Amino acid sequence: MAYLSMGEAHRRINDYLNRFCDAVSNQDGDSLKRLLSLSSNNPSILSLADALNVFQDANRLIKQSDNYSQFGEILVHLFRAFQSYRVGSFVDSYQAFEKAANAFIQEFRNWDTAWALQALYVMVYEIRVLAERADKELATNGKSPEKLKGAGSFLMKVFGVLAGKGPKRVGALYVTCQLFKVYFKLGTVHLCRSVIRSIETARIFDFEEFPKRDKVTYMYYTGRLEVFNENFPAADDKLSYALKHCNPRSEANIRMILKYLIPVKLSIGIIPNDWLLEKYNLVEYSNVVQALKRGDLRLLRHALQEHEDRFLRSGVYLVLEKLELQVYQRLLKKIYIIQKQRDPSKAHQLKLEVIVKALKWLEMEIDVDEVECIMAILIYKSLVKGYFAHKSKVVVLSKQDPFPKLNGKPVNS
Amino acid sequence: MTPCDVPAIVGTCTLMCPEAERAQRERLRDLAVFERVNGNPAQSSPSLAVKKFFRTMSTKQVEASDVRPLPVLENTLNYLLKLFDSNEYPFEVIHDFLFDRTRSIRQDLSMQNIVDEKAIHMYEKMVKFHIISLHKLRGCSSQNTSPMHHLNMEQLAKTLTSLFNLYDANRHSNSTYKNEAEFCSFYVLLHLDSNSQPMGESLSWWFSHVPSSLIKSKEMYFSRRILRFFRMGNFKRFLSTVEAEASYLQFCIIEPYVDEVRVLALSCINNGGYKLHPYPLSHLSKLLLMKESDLESFCKSCGLKICTDEEGHNLLPTKQVTFCHPKDGSQNYRFWGMEQFER
Repeated sequence: MAYLSMGEAHRRINDYLNRFCDAVSNQDGDSLKRLLSLSSNNPSILSLADALNVFQDANRLIKQSDNYSQFGEILVHLFRAFQSYRVGSFVDSYQAFEKAANAFIQEFRNWDTAWALQALYVMVYEIRVLAERADKELATNGKSPEKLKGAGSFLMKVFGVLAGKGPKRVGALYVTCQLFKVYFKLGTVHLCRSVIRSIETARIFDFEEFPKRDKVTYMYYTGRLEVFNENFPAADDKLSYALKHCNPRSEANIRMILKYLIPVKLSIGIIPNDWLLEKYNLVEYSNVVQALKRGDLRLLRHALQEHEDRFLRSGVYLVLEKLELQVYQRLLKKIYIIQKQRDPSKAHQLKLEVIVKALKWLEMEIDVDEVECIMAILIYKSLVKGYFAHKSKVVVLSKQDPFPKLNGKPVNS
Repeated sequence: MTPCDVPAIVGTCTLMCPEAERAQRERLRDLAVFERVNGNPAQSSPSLAVKKFFRTMSTKQVEASDVRPLPVLENTLNYLLKLFDSNEYPFEVIHDFLFDRTRSIRQDLSMQNIVDEKAIHMYEKMVKFHIISLHKLRGCSSQNTSPMHHLNMEQLAKTLTSLFNLYDANRHSNSTYKNEAEFCSFYVLLHLDSNSQPMGESLSWWFSHVPSSLIKSKEMYFSRRILRFFRMGNFKRFLSTVEAEASYLQFCIIEPYVDEVRVLALSCINNGGYKLHPYPLSHLSKLLLMKESDLESFCKSCGLKICTDEEGHNLLPTKQVTFCHPKDGSQNYRFWGMEQFER
């Protein structure tokens, strides 16, 4: 670090303090937010932090002036947070930043309009990100990581401040999304329920009023929760909404949405184009899609095994496993089509033995009893129209539409 | 990991039940049958009395002399589990006693913040108690077992959750405990039905956090296959795999699903079978792993009629409109050839 004189340090600190106070008195949210964004490694904040570490007595400067001291609580802790961050003490930085944020909320409450909402967003974001780094530090030192959990509680408090009738309420969805990120990271997703309930049932909130970006993020997370809970129609609605309204240029976000939407769509019989998988680098689904198109059970099982870890981690494994019945349906349809070409009058009769042979060809040892069992299930769940005759060991397909499409509904349970 | 800042109590009670409590319950004649000396409802002894579960508002109100240290808790648990196999009393009575007294043990462990390997072994034993109770309560003939069953399931969920937390807290660098895979398999089996979330969390979410080595274990491989067969409706493989591979404890959890799958099988066959080819019961009994005579009564309880052909074979005619789900799985259909599961 280049040598920094006391004079220069003093100048930088005063400069920041002036900009802070001006931003507040001018109700300039944009300027204020730039003064708070710590973790983006903003060069002016880093250079301020250097100055603070040299000067060491910024608190006196703050108290000396009436202008500055009215925001004393915020500034003192903010400076501490900057200093600690600069020297890599993230636990300390987080603790100070939380105190600064607390003081900020008290002021924020008193400001009538929503001018400082952008700045609040930055504080909320920083709280979460700093808490994550603090927890990492705690874990490396063999201590119990609890800062992110604390950040969650703090964010709930912020949510409470925004959940009122005034113009500030449109900020609640942003805070909600930050809370989702906290809960997903901590693994405490059941805590999402209460904040979802507040957003969706409280009369003060009108979902349409929230900023578009926040709505997309919200639908992405709630859509993922529906996937975990295996509510596929609801998952489809939410993730599709997110996809539809997502910025078409943010490919990374589109990819994240598709990662969950594709399995959901597959489960209701909608198959993505190969170019979509390639464009967004979701090739882990290629074999699954192929298996569905070809009726290749072996390929489905192989694809699930190959990407087992990845599918389990993202929670889509069980969704994909369920596709087996649709793959069977496709296989039977192919057999039917082949038979139709050879002898249209007998095509609608599928001998169980033929199905056993087809499965053997796919290296699947499934005996005739199990095939009959699977046929019975497919008929029961309306994936096949017809009946099975036990004595003649044959499946007789309905002449009309023997393999009904799912039409956007999941397979009957 | 350093524990959180709530000061843990260090228990000093050397008996299975604190003296003061025993004396009080003797006075109030509040002694369980197992605690009575010669059946006397007002007299107990240190070797018979076991501390009851009491709700406490906070650990601040609790005296160290009322809390049992780890060695005493271990002995108490072993003593209780010996009673489990007793034939002297109806199972509901035994279960009720063990249910309450093991809950008290868990409370003492938690108040003292005992979270080491010894706690793991104790929790494993207590989870097994709740699992076996699932099976035995079903076999009880009396009417009141339904609320008992519900409470048992609730405590099973709590105890299993605590056990998983203990595994996590004690995990050194990606290793897993000897029995952890078995208990993970129990978790999966408790979630066969996608509509039930007995532990408040979805199965998919849970899977996303399980260490890879556990996913690949033999026990998890079994329960995941059972899960797949169940959710697909593959009644043949579900039943045959359970019969061939389930352990006693796994069976205790799977049991109610066995009946459900058999009902599904009848439903599918009745729904999709050719009307002119009634389904032979002899074949069906092999598929469903039931004695033919049991299968006949099972069909009847599903509202289905049986017919007989000229050679005297029993057949199930299909497309019967009277099919219905049997009333309240009160009848437990024994597995044909599965006597290994009856203890």
